[in-house]
Amino acid sequence: MKKRIAALVTAGVLALSMLTGCGSKQESWKVTCPWAPSGVAAMVSQKAAAKSPDYSDNKITLVAEAVKGDAATVNTWVSSTKANDKELVFAGEGLFAITETLDPAKLQFSYDDFEFVENLYSSVFVLSADSSLNLKNLDDLEAYVKAGNPVSVAVNGATGSEAFLAAALFGSMGAGDQLKLTPYQSAAEAAQAVAKGETNFAVSHQSQILETYQQGGVDVVCAFDDKAIENGPFAGVEGVGSKGYPYFRNRCFVMARKGTDAAKVAELKELYDKILADDEMVEWLNDTMLLEVDTMTEDDVKAHIENVKSIVEQYKDIVAG
Amino acid sequence: MGLFDFIGPASGLLFTLENIIWINLGVFIGCVFAAIPGLSVILCIILFLPVTYTMRAIPGMMFLLGIYCAGGYGGSVSAILINTPGTPHAAATMLDGYPLSKMGRTKAALKIALYASTFGGIFSALVLLFLGPQVAKISAQLGTAEYFMVCLFGMTIIAGVSGKSLVKGIIAACLGLLISCVGADPMTSYDRFTFGIPRLYLGLDLAVTLIGLFALVEIIGKAELKRNELNLHAGKIGNDDGKITKDEYKRMFRPVLMGSIIGSCVGIVPGTGASEASWFSYNTAKNLSKHPEEFGHGSVEGVAAAESANNAVCGATLIPLLTLGIPGDGCVAIMLSALMINGLNPGLSLFTTDGAIMYAIMLGLILVNIFMFLQGKYLTSLFAKVVSIPQQILTPIIVIFCFAGAYSVNSSYFDLSVALVFGVMAWFMRKLELPAVPVLLGMVLGNMTETNFRRALLISDGSPKIFFSSVYCWIFIALIVVVIIGILRGKMKETKNAKVEQ
Amino acid sequence: MKNLIERAEAKLDEWGAKLEQKNIEYPVDLICGILFLVIGIVLLLIMPQQVQISEKDVVNGRAFPTMLIWLMLAMSALLVGREAYNMVMHRPTKTKTLNLLVETKALVIVLILVVTYLLAEVTDLFVVGAVFCALAFLVFFRCKKPLYYAITVSMAVLIWVVFHFVLNVSF
Repeated sequence: MKKRIAALVTAGVLALSMLTGCGSKQESWKVTCPWAPSGVAAMVSQKAAAKSPDYSDNKITLVAEAVKGDAATVNTWVSSTKANDKELVFAGEGLFAITETLDPAKLQFSYDDFEFVENLYSSVFVLSADSSLNLKNLDDLEAYVKAGNPVSVAVNGATGSEAFLAAALFGSMGAGDQLKLTPYQSAAEAAQAVAKGETNFAVSHQSQILETYQQGGVDVVCAFDDKAIENGPFAGVEGVGSKGYPYFRNRCFVMARKGTDAAKVAELKELYDKILADDEMVEWLNDTMLLEVDTMTEDDVKAHIENVKSIVEQYKDIVAG
Repeated sequence: MGLFDFIGPASGLLFTLENIIWINLGVFIGCVFAAIPGLSVILCIILFLPVTYTMRAIPGMMFLLGIYCAGGYGGSVSAILINTPGTPHAAATMLDGYPLSKMGRTKAALKIALYASTFGGIFSALVLLFLGPQVAKISAQLGTAEYFMVCLFGMTIIAGVSGKSLVKGIIAACLGLLISCVGADPMTSYDRFTFGIPRLYLGLDLAVTLIGLFALVEIIGKAELKRNELNLHAGKIGNDDGKITKDEYKRMFRPVLMGSIIGSCVGIVPGTGASEASWFSYNTAKNLSKHPEEFGHGSVEGVAAAESANNAVCGATLIPLLTLGIPGDGCVAIMLSALMINGLNPGLSLFTTDGAIMYAIMLGLILVNIFMFLQGKYLTSLFAKVVSIPQQILTPIIVIFCFAGAYSVNSSYFDLSVALVFGVMAWFMRKLELPAVPVLLGMVLGNMTETNFRRALLISDGSPKIFFSSVYCWIFIALIVVVIIGILRGKMKETKNAKVEQ
Repeated sequence: MKNLIERAEAKLDEWGAKLEQKNIEYPVDLICGILFLVIGIVLLLIMPQQVQISEKDVVNGRAFPTMLIWLMLAMSALLVGREAYNMVMHRPTKTKTLNLLVETKALVIVLILVVTYLLAEVTDLFVVGAVFCALAFLVFFRCKKPLYYAITVSMAVLIWVVFHFVLNVSF
């Protein structure tokens, strides 16, 4: 009896393994986000993946995955994928401009290892200040800095986009020596640091400072964009570009492996464009995540990377010492 | 917002078919692992942790909590049946459980263990539900310096898990803390101890290293088994009616209540665990009993006291974990990574922004205990049979689970080699009598300790005065001093007793 | 075939019996202390190459590991000192015994684990390593029951199937 059961179990298992090997015709593309699963990029990726079956005519579905690790995750991704693998990965100015300039040895890839698919979103970072400082706009900030007051800024990560935006703003105000960057391990922690009085300022995504702002702990002084924010709870907040200070937007590029068929890349881009034009998606990105839909061409991407690289080159001494 | 605001949405999130299935699966697996001597609950949680990576927070945590809580009860099955505790904290249960079994009351002994475990578990789940949010409110007021003090307080756990030698415990903890330094410096992003291996920029993954430290070392440890130890023969579950008299229920009530309170108090203090709670409770019950002479000879009070206490620890250990990010023991330390992978960072924000999820997890603990009771009531005979699974079958299956788990963390074969290296390292540590749990705690607390230490000094421009700048800092300093004095007194007493025995 | 297996097992038993007699006693605390003293010193020496720092840092990336290493060195020195004192005073030192049979068997298990890993990595097919692992351990435990082989190999395949197709782990 025991032998019969064993034979049945064995046969069943082997049959199951063979059966499960037979796939369907639907293509499933895994999208790896190399940042925190609770972060902005991972959340948008999840939302896009959930929307993908509605726009793929049952051909492509996206499966979102978040593996925290930044450059290391993308290194692994590049080494384990080849052209036409059904894998996508996120990369941004952090990898192509900041890490490539500061610590190129950390990267086992370059922009040439990827095929650009689409930009998932654009985020305009904001500078928030401890409400007790009573800084409401750029003029107030300039006066504050001019008076020689301490400038300590909470940022997410030691050498991330936030750190360089802070360095570029205060550096170009001539307060590079006054600036003390305090790195936190998440954007949420950095935002809370100002409210707790550990730092005077924080640079963060708009959505990450919203709760603290609504509780009255911080004032939002300026936005890292060319003009004032148009929509949402921070509408009217001045853009640093209007006063000639350097800035860049935070972007999240969806990339395929180099050599992937151009037709397939175009198909993926079309899918992302449809998802990003979806009314519910646009509303969610604008109202909940406080992000913008900002579809791009490869030339736009290269221009963005070059802009960030020039800022990094100019202010790297302030950030990295 | 408090309990009553969140109870509606939390119930909605919790009471789904998916969660019920995962809870039951977790409880079943936990009981099976704990029932088999040599397989620990921590090993079980490590093996099944990768399964939760693809799950959302609530089903993932329910599954792990199912394993954790059921492990508390499962250990008593083999303790009662074959006089071998399935888990270390069932050792106190064995003292009276096995004699009861020999008296022909196996079913009654298992029933007492189950009832007491369930009561203890639900009691501590309620303690967590009402006390957790209050502790979280305090944690929200803690800044970087205070958090460093919390980490230092957490480090006192090491004393509790160092085994015989505190000096070796500290060495092992330093090793764990140093391992946590591998990878990118959290404050500057520069690499540390990567030896030119690009994969190490990311640091060493906790789940992978644990597979080596706790699971693979057990496999290598099979070398110590003699051929006649490959099969354990569990006794039959017995033909007694399993009846517990009214008088026995009355006698059990006080030790069960006392055990639940003791277990909850012990669980809140990091570094103590279910073993300490069950012995402490057993001793207290013996001292307060009208029939102390029955203890060790099949006392129902003894089984009830030990079992209620070791299960009451479960809920209480989650209080420092969910509110401060300080794991009370090794199992809970692993659960912390399950929370983090879902983007849930312990602290007050967890109770406000993700309040519904948090309350669902806390309410879920009650549900876990109810299902543990039901499975215990109807499946105990099956768990008893599981005790006899031969090592020949079990060993390779565990290895395959370990490797599959290690690979699935980052989809990389590199992690398998890391797990192997840690397995061999743990084997050498055994030969040097170095405890492994302090290494785990070092790895868990390392990053948090270093970051808060350095950031606090950065904020204060290098002045250490920041660590004495608030009331909370002083409270934690006082707590650390009290714990250290307690440890030193305990160690001195141990040394004195050892000398007297010699 | 059966005869061959029996002969091989008899030979192994003979070696096993010889190894089982051989024990090595060693001063465990002393060796532990010396080993971690060496590890600590090596770590301190390689620190400048392994940990880059910036002059701007208030507390740099070497501070925390350096503190830990010094603590580890102090504890190791304490262990060595205590054992050395015991030796000088002719007091008993803490010892542990290694049994050569156990250690040889442990080495064989490590070998099985390494081969399992290598097979999985080289073939890029986890199930190959898994089936080898199942068979190797059964042979290691000298299992002669076909039922056990069937159950274990089936379980090896089943675990791979679950991870590969249900949990979407591609290996």
